[in-house]
Amino acid sequence: MSGRTIQLAVVGAMLAGTLIAETQAAEIHKDYHFTVGPKAGVSVNNPYGSISVKPSTGGIVVINAVLASDKVEVDNNLVGNRVEIQSHLLAGADAQSGRVDYEILVPADASITLHSSTGPLRAEKLHGDVTLEGSAATVEIRDITSAHVHVKTLNGPVTLTNVQDGHVEIDSLSGEVTLNGVTGPLVQVISTSGGINYIGDFGDRGEYRLTSHSGDIEATVPDSTSADVSARSVRGEVHDDIPLQPKAHTWFVIKEGSAFWGTMGRAAVSSTVVLRSFSGKIHLRKRTSK
Amino acid sequence: MNCVELQASLAELEDGSGAERSPAQQAHLETCPECSALVAELNLIAASAIELRAADEPSPRVWNSIEIALRQEGLIRPQRANRSLLPSLSSRWAWARWMVPAAAVLLIAVGIYVRQNSLAEQLARDTAPAAVVSDPEIAGLNDADLLQEVAQLSPAMQAQYTDNLRHVNQYIQDAKGVVAANPNDEEARRSLLEAYQEKAMLFELAMDRSLP
Repeated sequence: MSGRTIQLAVVGAMLAGTLIAETQAAEIHKDYHFTVGPKAGVSVNNPYGSISVKPSTGGIVVINAVLASDKVEVDNNLVGNRVEIQSHLLAGADAQSGRVDYEILVPADASITLHSSTGPLRAEKLHGDVTLEGSAATVEIRDITSAHVHVKTLNGPVTLTNVQDGHVEIDSLSGEVTLNGVTGPLVQVISTSGGINYIGDFGDRGEYRLTSHSGDIEATVPDSTSADVSARSVRGEVHDDIPLQPKAHTWFVIKEGSAFWGTMGRAAVSSTVVLRSFSGKIHLRKRTSK
Repeated sequence: MNCVELQASLAELEDGSGAERSPAQQAHLETCPECSALVAELNLIAASAIELRAADEPSPRVWNSIEIALRQEGLIRPQRANRSLLPSLSSRWAWARWMVPAAAVLLIAVGIYVRQNSLAEQLARDTAPAAVVSDPEIAGLNDADLLQEVAQLSPAMQAQYTDNLRHVNQYIQDAKGVVAANPNDEEARRSLLEAYQEKAMLFELAMDRSLP
């Protein structure tokens, strides 16, 4: 490397460092603390930026907000047992200057409602109801128990991991939806063009409905799974790697390659699984042990 | 009769004179010094009020001053000009505020339409086919308006909304086709409802509170 190159590299690094330092200097940090009772509500409406929610210890809500500039403010309010947070865009704010990133701690039993166009939206280790909405926001939810989980996205990918005993409803127009270890009385995914990927055992005695218009649907299940599974694709293909006990009576025509309906495992404790697509492929596969 | 019941019953009396008191009230007043004192004060006030002349009444300026003071203290507030639960039709965003109720009406209308179709098939009634009603006629939804507003609100997302709108409209058309071919198929009808649900969600997201 020549001396000239080294000089350019050093000058470049110094410029980059200066820019980063200026950016960090423009950031504004805000902290808010609220004392709440059991089963509190926390709602956050943030046009630009991430929201991450984790459990706190005790009955407190802690909001850590990083504001990208002074063109955005954080309005906060405690109404009864509900904390309301709103990123308030001022004149001239855009996606960069109006960005606010939130790190939020809430009591584990709190119900949360998060809105962000850009996201990402994250929630973990809670057992209160979780509602997340965002157009392009990436949604990640994990380690949730005994709660309603509602997600709406336009094209943001949605990933749920280890959601137990949940009442799960996910609507995504074109985002990919991945459910890993998600069980409960109702697990429903509706997508227009996004794919749906379910990995797990479908729990027991639950209703699982995975529907996509043109997206592919793939369910990967272990040997221990017990479920009544029906799958139909109007114009797509249907594949089944797992032998099913066929139903004696079906109310729709089982057309080879485009539909199947049968029982896997013990029918007495089985869940109901409905996989539907118009033009996407449906694939029920067995999970291979590593 | 206890103190609460007696004080509640005082409001029903035109004045506090003993002539209108019931035996129960009278019995309570004889045994309760607090209520007895209260009734005596009320009687005194009522008697004094009768003796007041009209000239003694404060001028309107006094009442205005009291009102101004109460407003400054925040004890009374001016009424809002428009407290209607219905969105305004006059503002620039009026159409957007109507979108959620319009989407809800659309879903309900489709649900009723699909259900009626199902019942008609099951009963094998020989009725005339239902008039074809386009989606915009059902709920006033207008894709072009939606995209125009998204373009103004968030131009960066216009392409995504356009693409998703095209997909969801195709979803609805496909679902309608399956229902028409298999009118007794419960799953097909459910798919049609889900397709409309997706479109309603698209409109909902377009006017989402978080949309910049």
